[in-house]
Amino acid sequence: MTDNFQNIDKIIAEKGSSKKSLIPVLQAIQDEYNYLPEEALRYLEEKTSITAAEIIGVASFYKQFRMHPVGKHIIKICVGTACHVKGATLVHDAFKRHFNLKETEDTDKNGNYTLEKVSCLGCCTLAPVVQVDGITYGHVAADQVDQVIADFESQQGKPKAKKYRHADGSEIKGEIRIGLGSCCVASGSDEIRKEVEKVAGENHLRVKLKHVGCVGMCHQVPLVEIVPNEGEPTLYAKVKPEDVKKIVETHFEPPTLLSKLKNKLFSFAEDIQTDRHWEGVERYEISMREKPVASFLGSQVPIATEYRGIINPVDINEYKTRGGFSALEKMFKLLSPDAVLNEIKNSGLRGRGGAGFPTGVKWELVKKEKSDLKYLICNGDEGDPGAFMDRMLLESYPYRVIEGIIIAAYATGIHEGYFYIRAEYPLAVKRIRKALEVCYENNYLGADILGSGFSLNLQVYEGAGAFVCGEETALIASIEGSRGFPHIRPPFPAQKGLWGQPTLVNNTETYAQVSYIIREGSEKFKNIGVEKNSGTKVFALAGKVARGGLIEVPMGITIRQVVEEIGGGIANGRKFKAVQIGGPSGGCIPAEYAETPINYESLTEMGAMMGSGGLVVLDDTDCMVDIARFFLSFTQDESCGKCTFCRVGTKRMLDILENITSGKGKPGDLEELERLAHWTKKGSLCGLGKTAPNPILSTLKYFRHEYEAHINGVCTTGKCTALITYSVNDKCIGCTLCAQKCPVDAIAFKPHEKHFIDTSLCIKCDACRAVCPEDAIDVK
Amino acid sequence: MIKLKINNIEIQVENGTSVMKAAEKLGIHVPNMCWHNELEHFTSCMLCLVKDGSGRLFPSCSVQAAEGQEIITDDVEISEARKTALELLLSEHVGDCEAPCQIACPAHMNIPQMNRLIAAGKMTEALEVVKRDIALPAVLGHICPAPCEGACHRKTVDEPISICLLKRITGYEGTEPEIVKVQATGKKVAVIGSGPAGLAASYYLQIKGVQVTLFDKNEKPGGLLRTVIADELLPKEILDKEIEAILATGVQFKGNSEIDTVGFQQLKTDFDAVILATGVLPENSSFFGLKSTPKGIIADKDSYQTSDPKVFAVGNIIRSSRLAVRSVGQGKEVAFSVLQFFKGQQPTGEPRIFNSRFGKLVSAEFSEYLKESVPGKRVFPFKGGNSGFTTEEAIAEAKRCLHCDCRAIDNCKLREYSHQYNADQKRFKTSERRNITKQNNHNLVIFEPQKCIKCGICVRLSEKYGEKLGFTYIGRGFDVEINIPFNEALDKGITLVAEKVAAGCPTGAISIKDNLK
Repeated sequence: MTDNFQNIDKIIAEKGSSKKSLIPVLQAIQDEYNYLPEEALRYLEEKTSITAAEIIGVASFYKQFRMHPVGKHIIKICVGTACHVKGATLVHDAFKRHFNLKETEDTDKNGNYTLEKVSCLGCCTLAPVVQVDGITYGHVAADQVDQVIADFESQQGKPKAKKYRHADGSEIKGEIRIGLGSCCVASGSDEIRKEVEKVAGENHLRVKLKHVGCVGMCHQVPLVEIVPNEGEPTLYAKVKPEDVKKIVETHFEPPTLLSKLKNKLFSFAEDIQTDRHWEGVERYEISMREKPVASFLGSQVPIATEYRGIINPVDINEYKTRGGFSALEKMFKLLSPDAVLNEIKNSGLRGRGGAGFPTGVKWELVKKEKSDLKYLICNGDEGDPGAFMDRMLLESYPYRVIEGIIIAAYATGIHEGYFYIRAEYPLAVKRIRKALEVCYENNYLGADILGSGFSLNLQVYEGAGAFVCGEETALIASIEGSRGFPHIRPPFPAQKGLWGQPTLVNNTETYAQVSYIIREGSEKFKNIGVEKNSGTKVFALAGKVARGGLIEVPMGITIRQVVEEIGGGIANGRKFKAVQIGGPSGGCIPAEYAETPINYESLTEMGAMMGSGGLVVLDDTDCMVDIARFFLSFTQDESCGKCTFCRVGTKRMLDILENITSGKGKPGDLEELERLAHWTKKGSLCGLGKTAPNPILSTLKYFRHEYEAHINGVCTTGKCTALITYSVNDKCIGCTLCAQKCPVDAIAFKPHEKHFIDTSLCIKCDACRAVCPEDAIDVK
Repeated sequence: MIKLKINNIEIQVENGTSVMKAAEKLGIHVPNMCWHNELEHFTSCMLCLVKDGSGRLFPSCSVQAAEGQEIITDDVEISEARKTALELLLSEHVGDCEAPCQIACPAHMNIPQMNRLIAAGKMTEALEVVKRDIALPAVLGHICPAPCEGACHRKTVDEPISICLLKRITGYEGTEPEIVKVQATGKKVAVIGSGPAGLAASYYLQIKGVQVTLFDKNEKPGGLLRTVIADELLPKEILDKEIEAILATGVQFKGNSEIDTVGFQQLKTDFDAVILATGVLPENSSFFGLKSTPKGIIADKDSYQTSDPKVFAVGNIIRSSRLAVRSVGQGKEVAFSVLQFFKGQQPTGEPRIFNSRFGKLVSAEFSEYLKESVPGKRVFPFKGGNSGFTTEEAIAEAKRCLHCDCRAIDNCKLREYSHQYNADQKRFKTSERRNITKQNNHNLVIFEPQKCIKCGICVRLSEKYGEKLGFTYIGRGFDVEINIPFNEALDKGITLVAEKVAAGCPTGAISIKDNLK
């Protein structure tokens, strides 16, 4: 440290010197140094009333904080569910090999790159996804690590990387999806495909052509869906070949003459990319987010996502012209706080954070408390692998969430509130900050809102990254500047929450549904969904469906409707095996129960859970034991460590699962796993531990035979690398591609001869099988 | 006031009383480890789980008693939950309760304590410790094959402590413990056979106020020790001296008295109990009419009681082992059983308490263990193999002991509850254990982080008493550690609360360093 820490003095002066400022102060220090230098922390201890124990306890609790310097660039490898099932682990291993990192190392020798596993980058349909600083790479295969790094380095120093780029430097405009289900084909979709290729070729358009399976709208075939990089995807039904030119030209501007000439150098085959033959790397901007699935597909009902893709997130006037703040105005004019409360109670709205507690009842509990000071918190601490609804709502509909919060605060008599948003969601933080500013300017916030006499102040609190802080008592501890340890309930936050005051904590999505209820009336809301489960739920649909993305569906819709009508069925002609609903707290429901309606009770009954709304579709190539292990490794890593059952129980369950998936399982393991899951569920302090066993229990319930097979040394899907071997069969033509791709030289280069894999060297990275043109690599 | 029912008993408590405290008022103890009477509840260990009317389990330390609650503090399900919690904690608790040598010793002798006393030059105190379990210290110091040395952790580091020779020197150099007069029980016991088993049984009964008459077919006591073992191996004067010390407690020795079946029946009427320690009996023996196998008399493996409740059998008469230390140990244990018998209790033998064990030391741990010891290989007696140590040699050798036994051995909630709930430490041995470290630079306390169960009592006490550094949590989840911030040393971190945190620690992770205890 060469400086005198004047910068830290400045941070303390700005953020405060008491314990409640600890997390913002640490965030600011890390912004300065890229990590938390010990000298800086010692200085902080000296200069403030915060103790060393508090500083270290908090700094070491949250994922955001680093105690060691990092490389110049951060490579974030998404290991969310969707990326996991598409081979993210292999990609991560490949990066480790590329930088020659040992087990515990994460930064390369030159200090240029630091690898980081992240839970979800929010672009599941691009899985597996890797983010290098500001650039997002999609569909990264394990053998493309060199290309990704080379491409990233080629972009350095350039003013602004073009988005959606191909490795050769040309721009990809978007995606054209053509239905190739049997109905579509029968109705002439192949003609359409040829026409699209022709039009794109003539215009030298770089678009991605994607063949999707049946979208379940067979009466509308053939279907063409245009997914531009920005804005709403558009689906064209009953398309005729002569329509194609117009459709394509409407959405994609042909390149300039200069780039046309340049593009002539490339062959047509390279211009149109499909999922199957893709060699380059795809590059996107950091703000790349999941595109919503076309809202008219299936039975979607946008409430939280009303006017999606149409309104500019931070333009308050656009929001207002589309009914924004009319609920607020109606409320101030016509409704007393009690009347608002009754509307919410009558609407049957339940907490969208996962547990489904009736929102009106929660509000009433807070309202009832006699206290001059009460707080409101908007829980935006998502962190599920494969769920990003809250982030999307905060980024895209900041005013709707704010409007819902104002209504809640009015109904419950609260005048102070916090947005708890993860610092890892910079865009959400930025948009909400901006929206708050605009709201203050327009008197939607502050004193005497719209002349109603009601006042409310809202501020943003940036969470430092801990999944457990989604639990309301842990979230509160975090705002208070402590480790995110949950607290036993009762007392509930409604009675004794933030700083000991009554506190209303609702999930972002819950608030996002409130303005609709007040504007349209609770009866109308109640008519959406089913009894006791009114309204809609936003899901992140991902995994092996033809069309993944964010969807908003009425409660009570069946799993099959979601998978087939909205998701377009299973991609690549595979078989639908199961859905994983609710992320790490949820469970797997097998295909034979696809008629199960999606509501709080039915999911719980099936051993899953609404959770925060991850919905990952699995096909017959997915190993259910591996899925259980994947979720357990997440919750085990995210356990706060306070109570025995969660801290040690999740670790031991993970141990057993790892033993099973690595061929070290033994008879009796399943029974022990089941018993331990039972006790962890019953004995844990908070929701994280209580639900952590669900992925195990549900897969044990429906797929026990797969566990038993593993114990007998067999992983039928070949996902568990310790249980499989790679070999070359007689179809080998000696093309040497596998030998060229093998990162560890386990395959000798022998042109025109049958190749051979040295299993003692093989690391089972799957590169050979992926590259083999003859299907000559066996995995057994 | 709040009215509730605990285990079906009605009770009234003040508003705000925790369920655990309410139960305590009824004299019902709810197990707990993370609870501390100076601190707010914390809800970490989950041992205090109880059940309410709905069957829901909840931690009673943190939940307030509520009107009309019906609490159950103990049933099969609750016990199972607590046992599982303990087993999970034990799976991350890396430490030995008793030292491996003590567990390996058939007489279960407190070897580490003997070593520490010898190292401090306190031979008499050391002898006193030995004689708690071994009635013939110097004798065994000559002939014992020393299974303890096979288990010694120091063996993994370089060479085991020379325990047997250390024990021998206590017999030579130490002064026999004074015979403390205890009130006579009025009970009489006949011990048949004056080999190591019979001598030990006689000694431990006599010093507890039981009048022992010791019969032997030979003229002099000692059994095989006298008749079979060569003089060069075991000098007769040593044997005589230690037998003399036993008889000096008041044991009546009757030599030249071979007891046959008729004589045995007579002894049964004349004495309150009979202990058979005759050594191996021939295969065609009638075994005094007691239940037997061709190998010997059948006796309960813990209490040594035979098919006749007032008859006990120890030593080679139940199974030929030719291991004097085992016979000596059995002699000590049968005395305990006989005393139980006299008190009208079911004889069970000496209770064996739960022991946490972690297995072998790994090389990374050698230096940690050596922090409490001295480097260097085993000391060999200057005068050669069988001559025994000089005092200086013994002190030097005893200092090599690694202090493997836990300081909290008699004051550990984890051990106590693990015993009570019959917990199995191996149940969750599902992955590699952590490596042991020791922080030993504080003059009052030693900190062994791998014994920690993360209850946070020390963290909260540090905070309460305003330690500048104090203990803190570092990291989270399974990998969370308790330590001093900024990697500062223990003595710098803990300046005010050393004794308090040691007393508060429920598992011996932090304990007072008093090497002579």
